[in-house]
Amino acid sequence: MAVETQQSKVGYPEGRAFERFLRWRKQLGALWGTLFFLSTLIGMVVLVVLVADIVDGAFGYVALEYRVDPESLVLDYHKNQMVSMPKTLPSEEDVVLVDGIAQRPAAIGFVGYAYYQQKADSVRVLSVDGVLPDEATVAEGRYPLARPLFLYADAKTLASKAEAALFVGEYLRRVDEVAASVGYFPAGESVRTENLAAWTRASGLSGESLPVAQGELSVTGSSTVAPITQRVADSLVADNRFVGQVQVESIGTDAGFRRFCADLGVDLVDASRPMQSVERAACLQLGRAPIEFQIANDGLPVIVSSQNEFVRELTRAQLQQIFTSATRWNEIDPSWPDQDIFRFIPGVDSGTLDFFVTALFGSSLAEQSTPVLLDILTSNISAGRLRALEAQRPLAELSKTELVERIETEVLRPQVAASWSLTDSLLRRTEIEAAAAAMPGTALIFKSWVNWEFLTSPQSSDPLHAGVRTAIFGSLLVTLVAFLLAVPLGIAAAIYLEEYSSGKSWFDRVVETNINNLAGVPSIIYGMLGLAVFVRFLGPLTSGLAFGVGDPSTANGRTIVSAGLTLGLLVLPLVIINGREAIRAVPRGIREGSFGLGATRWQTVWSHVLPNAITGILTGVILAVSRAFGETAPLIVVGASTFVVVDPNGLFAKFTSLPVQIYQWTSRPQPEFQHLAAAAIVVLLLLLVSLNALAIWLRNRYSRRVI
Amino acid sequence: MSISLAVSSSSSIESPQARIAVESRNLRVFYGKFMAVRDINLQVEECKITALIGPSGCGKSTVLRAFNRMNDLVPVARTEGEILFQGKNIYDPDVDAVEVRRRVGMVFQKPNPFPKSIYENIAWGARINGFKGDMDQLVEESLRGAALWDEVKDKLKQSGYSLSGGQQQRLCIARTIAVKPDIILMDEPCSALDPIATLRIEELMRELVNQYTIIIVTHNMQQAARVADYTAFFMVDDTRTGYLVEYGRSDQIFMRPKDKRTEDYITGRFG
Ligand SMILES: Nc1ncnc2c1ncn2[C@@H]1O[C@H](COP(=O)(O)OP(=O)(O)O)[C@@H](O)[C@H]1O
Ligand SMILES: [Mg+2]
Repeated sequence: MAVETQQSKVGYPEGRAFERFLRWRKQLGALWGTLFFLSTLIGMVVLVVLVADIVDGAFGYVALEYRVDPESLVLDYHKNQMVSMPKTLPSEEDVVLVDGIAQRPAAIGFVGYAYYQQKADSVRVLSVDGVLPDEATVAEGRYPLARPLFLYADAKTLASKAEAALFVGEYLRRVDEVAASVGYFPAGESVRTENLAAWTRASGLSGESLPVAQGELSVTGSSTVAPITQRVADSLVADNRFVGQVQVESIGTDAGFRRFCADLGVDLVDASRPMQSVERAACLQLGRAPIEFQIANDGLPVIVSSQNEFVRELTRAQLQQIFTSATRWNEIDPSWPDQDIFRFIPGVDSGTLDFFVTALFGSSLAEQSTPVLLDILTSNISAGRLRALEAQRPLAELSKTELVERIETEVLRPQVAASWSLTDSLLRRTEIEAAAAAMPGTALIFKSWVNWEFLTSPQSSDPLHAGVRTAIFGSLLVTLVAFLLAVPLGIAAAIYLEEYSSGKSWFDRVVETNINNLAGVPSIIYGMLGLAVFVRFLGPLTSGLAFGVGDPSTANGRTIVSAGLTLGLLVLPLVIINGREAIRAVPRGIREGSFGLGATRWQTVWSHVLPNAITGILTGVILAVSRAFGETAPLIVVGASTFVVVDPNGLFAKFTSLPVQIYQWTSRPQPEFQHLAAAAIVVLLLLLVSLNALAIWLRNRYSRRVI
Repeated sequence: MSISLAVSSSSSIESPQARIAVESRNLRVFYGKFMAVRDINLQVEECKITALIGPSGCGKSTVLRAFNRMNDLVPVARTEGEILFQGKNIYDPDVDAVEVRRRVGMVFQKPNPFPKSIYENIAWGARINGFKGDMDQLVEESLRGAALWDEVKDKLKQSGYSLSGGQQQRLCIARTIAVKPDIILMDEPCSALDPIATLRIEELMRELVNQYTIIIVTHNMQQAARVADYTAFFMVDDTRTGYLVEYGRSDQIFMRPKDKRTEDYITGRFG
């Protein structure tokens, strides 16, 4: 018995050898499993990288450069408006203004607070929106025509450059007095304490008696703040607290910040507004951590002569009216006298006028009223363009947001100054903000290159307004023609080959071999076929001339029909091959059952084979449509137009398609067009996915009905 | 079970009053160059069950399918000889195979209802053959004829696939009798079924034979002995070509086979 057992197991591993064998077998299995997983992983990685790559280009930061700065557009409009009012007297000299107002009971104007104080007996200050300007209302921002003024330094300079630290220290101590003498309001005790604490933290200095500063300083920025800084510097030099030179430049706040955050040679900045986060980012990029000192408040008193008996207070709306539209006092308030308004305003180049306008009307387009926007739009475009816009849609009908949009496209006309990929936008945000801040007159926005306007606009040479509408229509029509050709022909051929052909005749054999080979022919060859047959040979038909469509002098065969027929031929083998697979997969029993009842071949095909094969046939159709939708090379050969801005008006129209459009954009060197291409790819993929989803849904619905 | 050899019809193939439903003369079927069966001469009596038995691959299905020109559907198949049906050779060039199949229905080895509703399974065949009468009535009549009505009368709209294997096979029979054929061919109709379902089909065949001529292929000799009035025994020769060894009344074939080969086969099976 034992011998027998031994014999029966001869050849098979035993004991330890058996364990080893099992382990080995398991390891081999695991190895294969890992290989399969890795293969799948590689596929997934490729897919993820592909999607990431596309999305990377389709979204990201864009620095928009306006040909016209929106703020100065608004500012200039209102300034013009003010200057062109009758009985308006501009003067650079505040004294002239105050005196002028003092002498005329019907006059009104605004001056620096210091000048008002000098003549406080002959002029009267008005409350605006119920608030009178004084130190408190201005500091708290309750007075509408008020703003804080700043001096900016940075931590590193204060810590390492003694003269700068000492200068700022003295500045902060003296500024209240100086500001008042220049015509501004002091910032107040608490602000000063806070400022000095910040200064101490940054410079490490404190105490009352500071050493004498020695060296050279460069201060730049706001022309509003410059007089304060200049006077502080002068008084320091005069008192021998500062030995050397302090250079004070007036280049404006924007430019001042830009210099400060790009050039270490600038020590301090005068600013009439706080620093914005993008500017701060640019500074940090340079290694500067800006420190803000609020040094004073600017508040413009609106004054009338003390002989004026009727005006005591005004609202902002009334002020707007007084300076830009009304000519007589009783237009503002019927109870007021029927007298001309005399306006005294600072000269157009004065920062005070800018401030007054900004405070009164706001500086952004969004803050402006509809009539103002309409006026800005009409006064800044040519008469011809105006007629064209009116023809599109009467401008009077436009809403405020639509008007702002029109102004942006027609007047501001932004251009892409620089653009960044999504990855950069997410990972290198500060760098991008710094770069954008260094470009004068640009606005940094996060742009989705895929957006509604992109979908609904035709092709354009301006990348900010180029869209894919024409291309989508082209693609859909071309695909439709391809579908109409390939699907009926393909299914019919599949039925013939599977159900009727015996496969024995010479004809059947040739067809059989060729259909399979056709699927492997490079698509460019189909393009050449389409060019030779549909465009050239059948040109009279495909151009539509034979049907009386089109202009005989320009029409040619490079039309949607030709493109669609070419793609139809291209995808025909796909439909046939998949259709045959599906038909072959119909169980033989069903066919035999049908024949056994005395059904003809046609009845069998129609009632049993097709309904049971439809799922597979439709799979082929889906593949074919997707292929046709995404095909590029043959369309270029057949003659897709490079630049079509009008929607196709029929099957005999010139055409372009989404992939062709993408191809053209990718071949442009400007980075904006690369973003457009990426956006168009996103659209293409989304369209393909939704086409497929629709087809699959239809297929599932249909096949469920059959069973 | 009421079926036994004893109750088999008394009329014999040689008897003068016997009426022949279909007859093969020197039937040969080729698959390409391969001759699958040779020189089959078989007279099938009307309203009787004739069983074709024999070892696997001896050409039983081939012969059966020759009776309704089902072999035409096999591209490589070629038929020689004659099959006389109602006095006409169905292989004559002027005979339409579709017409033949409408008169000679077929039930297959594997139940093959259409992927349609039970009702449609029956109505479809009638409709394509130009039936103009009351369809509901025809469906009911056919289902009753196939002893299926009581089981499915409440779910005629359900798919034919929702039925059990035996029910599906009876549905296929119902569908066949709905087009009112003269002859029903059955190729191992019970081989895919369990014994209970098999028994029901056998009972059904005994009922159907009152109206229809039935030719059945079976590998199950008890079944042949139980249901068939006549039995034809096939064998293969050295070239794997099938031929008819012995044909006669079932009781004679199973009890007193004349041929030694028949006896060996039967006893081999029974023993
Ligand atoms: N479609 C076919 N093509 C080629 N040979 C076939 C075909 N059908 C059957 N045969 C051959 O014909 C012979 C008889 O087959 P068949 O009639 O199915 O036998 P049975 O039904 O008795 O088992 C077998 O040798 C088989 O291989
Ligand atoms: Mg068989």
